This record gives sequence, C-alpha cells and structure tokens, in this order.
Amino acid sequence: MNVDTLTHAIVQGINSGAEQFLEGTLAAVLPVIWLALLGLHLGRPYILDMIDRFTLRLGADLLWLIYIALRDILIISGVIMSFMFLFPDVVSTDQLPLTGGFAAVMLFAVLLIKLMGDPDHNLRDFRLVTWLLGIGALFYFIPYLFGVMLNQVATGQILTISNFLVSNTNANWAVAIGYITTALFAVMGAIAVGYVLMTGGRAEAPETTSK
Amino acid sequence: MKPDDVATAIMNSLVQGGSQWLIATIVAFLPVLWTMSLMLHLGRPYVLRTLRRCGLRLGADIWWMSYLLMRDALLLLTFGLSWFFFEPNIVASMALPITGSLAAMFLLLSLAVKLSRRVDDDVRAYRLSTLFLVIGATLYYGPLVFAVEATSQGYLSGFGQAFTSNSNPTVALVLMWISLAGVGLVAAWLFVRALMSANRSMGRRLKKEQEATGVISGAAGGGE
Repeated sequence: MNVDTLTHAIVQGINSGAEQFLEGTLAAVLPVIWLALLGLHLGRPYILDMIDRFTLRLGADLLWLIYIALRDILIISGVIMSFMFLFPDVVSTDQLPLTGGFAAVMLFAVLLIKLMGDPDHNLRDFRLVTWLLGIGALFYFIPYLFGVMLNQVATGQILTISNFLVSNTNANWAVAIGYITTALFAVMGAIAVGYVLMTGGRAEAPETTSK
Repeated sequence: MKPDDVATAIMNSLVQGGSQWLIATIVAFLPVLWTMSLMLHLGRPYVLRTLRRCGLRLGADIWWMSYLLMRDALLLLTFGLSWFFFEPNIVASMALPITGSLAAMFLLLSLAVKLSRRVDDDVRAYRLSTLFLVIGATLYYGPLVFAVEATSQGYLSGFGQAFTSNSNPTVALVLMWISLAGVGLVAAWLFVRALMSANRSMGRRLKKEQEATGVISGAAGGGE
C-alpha cells in the first residue's frame, strides 16, 4: 500500500461515512417531524379555541399565522427529508423504513389538497387531510418501529418480519417502492404545476367562509 | 509504510476529503433547495387564500412579506449553490447530474423573469417563471434519481453512465459551456437592463429637481 492508495481509502471512508451519517440523521429526525406535524394538525381545535379568547384581533391573527406556518413548514420539511426514499442507492444501503416513500406520498398529497382545496375551512378537505396524515404516519411508524428499531433484538419469525420491513434487508421491494413513489410524486407534481399554470398562481378555490 | 507516510496520507485525505465532502454535501442539499423553491413558488394560491382571511392589514403584510422573502431568497440561494455545475474540474471529477448546469440556467431565467416583470401581478409572467422553474427542476431531478443515486441498479447502468457528469465528461462539459454562455447572456441582459432602468429613473428625478430649482430661482428673480 502506498500513500496515494491510503489517501484514497481514507477519502472514500470519510465521504461514505459522512453521507450515511447524514442520511441516518435525517431518518432519525423524520419520526420527530411526523409526531410534531400530527400534533399540530390534530391540535387545531385547541388553537381555534384559544383564538376565540383573544381580545385583540392582532394577537389572534398572529397566533393563527404562526400556527399554520409552523404546521405547513413541518409538512414541507417532511416531504423534503423523505426525498432519500426515492434514491435506489440510498434505500438499498441504509436502514430505512420500507414504506417511508409511501408516507412521503401521503404528505405530498396533503400539500396538493392544501393547494387545490381549503382544508382549514372545508370539512371534507380537512377530513381527507387528516386521513392522509393518519395513513402516512402508519406507513412511516410501523416499519420504523417494528423493522428498523426492532431487528437487533428480534428473533425467529419476528426477525424475518422485521427484516422485511427494513429497506436494506429487503432491497428489491424498497427499490420498487422507491420507483412507485417517484412516479406518484411526478404525477402529483404535474397536477400541481397544471393547477398553478391554469390559475396563474391566484387563489381560485371557492371561499367557503365568505358564503 | 513509515509513520510519515501515514501522516501525509491522513493530511492529504483531510484536505481532499474535506473539500470533496463539502461539495458533496452542497450537492446533496441542492434537491432540498430545489424542492423547497418549487413548493413555495407553486404554493402561491394557498398563501393568497390564507392572506385573504387575515383580519388585519399588519398580519397580512407580515405573512406576504415572509412568503416573498423565503421564496425569492431560496431561488437565489439555489442558483448560488448551483455554481459548482459551472466549474469544469468538479464537473469532470465528481458524480453530478449531467444536466445540472442547464437546470441552473433555467433557474436563472426564472429569476430573470421575476426581476424584469411583475410576476406577482402579471399572470403571464408568473406562468413563464413557473415553466422555467419546472423545466429546471426536471432537468435536475431526472439524472439525480435515475443516474447519480442509482449506481447499484444494473438495469439503469446505461442511463447512469450517460447522465452522470464524471462518467460522460465530454457531454457534461459541452452542456456546461452552453449553459455558462446562457447564464452569461442572461446576466449581461439583466446588467444592461438594471443600468438603463437606473439611468431612466435617476434622469427623471434629476429633471424634476432641475425643474423645481428653475421654478424657485424664477420665483426668486421675479420677487427681486
């Protein structure tokens, strides 16, 4: 081994290790983001109740704006951080929840409904968003808890199930799910672009409260 | 191998590895910025809907201002960090999406539309800016997902080789120079436009000031 070979090996090690560390950190942060966004979405009645108690309109407006900004930024962050589920190399190398990509699709669908509908004032849209978030959370937490976080202590049949739920021990499924996720993202993205081009970026959804 | 050799190897690795890691991290962060930029740009109807419901002008202004700042700053930041795609050494040596430079050029075109027309009031300009942004994002995501991040997939190896910059450096460099020329043209156009606009607005102001001075001196002369 000469200096160049050793240098190359160390560089490879640093880069691969840092990349896996970054992806591992993202995967570890995602459950927190999921919990926070679920909490904020389901805490809507509490916020509305509090808004009613404000004596000053400015305080009520600010609370509402901060609430929706936080809630929606968390949803956007969830989608963005779930981008790694689209990369075949990443899902087949790292220990990720098998259906994490589908969870990201649910989050993206929520954003699409928020763009085209009015979940804050339309009950049907709100219910749809709540269902999508619930299903998305299941898609994320079941393989995360029973796969990624259980496979070191599980044995026998449970270990088989646990390995099935982890992306790098079930790479074929993980890559296939990644492709389906990519296709769904592309379709929903195209719908969003079509809608925005059609409306020219204006708020075209019917104003349910003004009626 | 002597201890000195190991020390040299570690030192070289820290320098080379650190620089590669920095670039790789920025490249890995770019999809985040692209997605965020797209979402904020496309989410305008939702932001407007929320804005309409603000009871007070102050709340609405804060909301709109925060949205605009985030959206446009992100676009600018994404373009700034895409500068790696215009550096020949990096393009030829690192695994980057081959059309990354074209994506950056389309991003600049979208920014140029924003700078030259009132995108938030003019529907056509908004559509044009959206189109540039979507084309740029597609050029970025396609090779990233199916080439750069799919080296483990044998059936994608042909696509991967064709669309990764360091495995197809000739095409990558040609695309880079074309995009760089495009970026140069757009930047020059923006520069000339800004200069002419400043000349016009300053000329108008100077003329007004001169007229005002003339009126005052005329009035003072009449008074004497």
